[in-house]
Amino acid sequence: MRAQTRRELLRSGAAGAAGGAVAGVAGVAGAGRALLTEASAQAAETAGNAFQIDRLQRLIRLELLLRFCYRQVLASPLLTPRARRTLAPFIAHEQAHIAALERQLRAGGGAVPPPPASVAAANRDLAHRKIGGRLGQLRGDQDAVRLLLTLEQVTIGAYFVALMKLQDTNLIELVSQIMANEAQHDAMLALLLPPNKPANAVPYGLVQGLQ
Amino acid sequence: MVTDAGASRRALLSGAGAALTGAVALTLGGCGGPATGRTAVKQLPRPVMERDVEVLGQALELERRTVAAYVAGIPLLSHPLAKVARQFLNEELQHTGELISLITAAGAKPPPRADSYELGHPRDAAGVLALLHSLEALQIKTYLQSIPRLSPGPVRAAAASILTVDSQHIAMLRLAQGETPVPSAFVTGSE
Repeated sequence: MRAQTRRELLRSGAAGAAGGAVAGVAGVAGAGRALLTEASAQAAETAGNAFQIDRLQRLIRLELLLRFCYRQVLASPLLTPRARRTLAPFIAHEQAHIAALERQLRAGGGAVPPPPASVAAANRDLAHRKIGGRLGQLRGDQDAVRLLLTLEQVTIGAYFVALMKLQDTNLIELVSQIMANEAQHDAMLALLLPPNKPANAVPYGLVQGLQ
Repeated sequence: MVTDAGASRRALLSGAGAALTGAVALTLGGCGGPATGRTAVKQLPRPVMERDVEVLGQALELERRTVAAYVAGIPLLSHPLAKVARQFLNEELQHTGELISLITAAGAKPPPRADSYELGHPRDAAGVLALLHSLEALQIKTYLQSIPRLSPGPVRAAAASILTVDSQHIAMLRLAQGETPVPSAFVTGSE
């Protein structure tokens, strides 16, 4: 899509230059305008790429935090066997999301952000995102599930915002697929909380997450 | 007869009640995103708007088919399953209302509802669950194809807020069918 726009701009530039040969001064002005247009198109493309890199880095940071929290919670003795069975496969899902987003980020020339270095770093990130509950201080499986549920909802919110702003159609489809998967995690986590009823797992007709 | 929009309003009202009593302050149904989506559709230049309206119209047709399947299938379900299915029906009605709002905001007229839908002949709960599963999967596939084609970001996001709920529905249906509820890291409608 971007390449097409560039070609169109170059064509209009060539037309401007050809016009210049015929119309003298007016043509020189036209060619100048075309060069300016091409420069602004390149600037817009660079800005768009920078925006996409920034957005991908934000999403990856959240996914890394999510994977870290799932690992910590699953490694603790907090969860009931049922909760453990439900949540265990989600780590692999988050890992797959990270890998897919990192591929997109590297293709755009962006640097991959590091995962949280420690529980303390993850807790600072959770606090920064205004998510209740701290790793290492959770008092039972419901505390753990609530923390993961809120973090999933924050992640869904980040994907929702990203969808409003991204332009690359392949990336939009990937982000939609991941957002939908996080919403499924959200439903399964909600099912683990009292009153443990299926109706509570999908309580709303439209889901945008926490923003 | 219940209209799409009327049912959707009720669903929104009940959703608002649930949100008020909920412990977690979710930003959900009928709030920022969809309203923003409606504004974005209206501000678009005409050709883009027409393409978006066509995409939204296709999604609406599928949502209506799914609504018809829930209405026809609920009597065949056991009481606990029927209760959940009624909730999902309300949510599907909310989706039709949302899509109608987006189409109307673009100055277009929503396509008319079909008189009837060919839904096969499920005879028991298992047949109904299989039918609902297939329709939710079809909706998911359609949204995933449609969302990248929608040009204004807020309209894309509004469609995605419907996709997420249909993805949750299919996970719960799989659970009811004794299958793995979340079998893949990427929702495609084919898993």
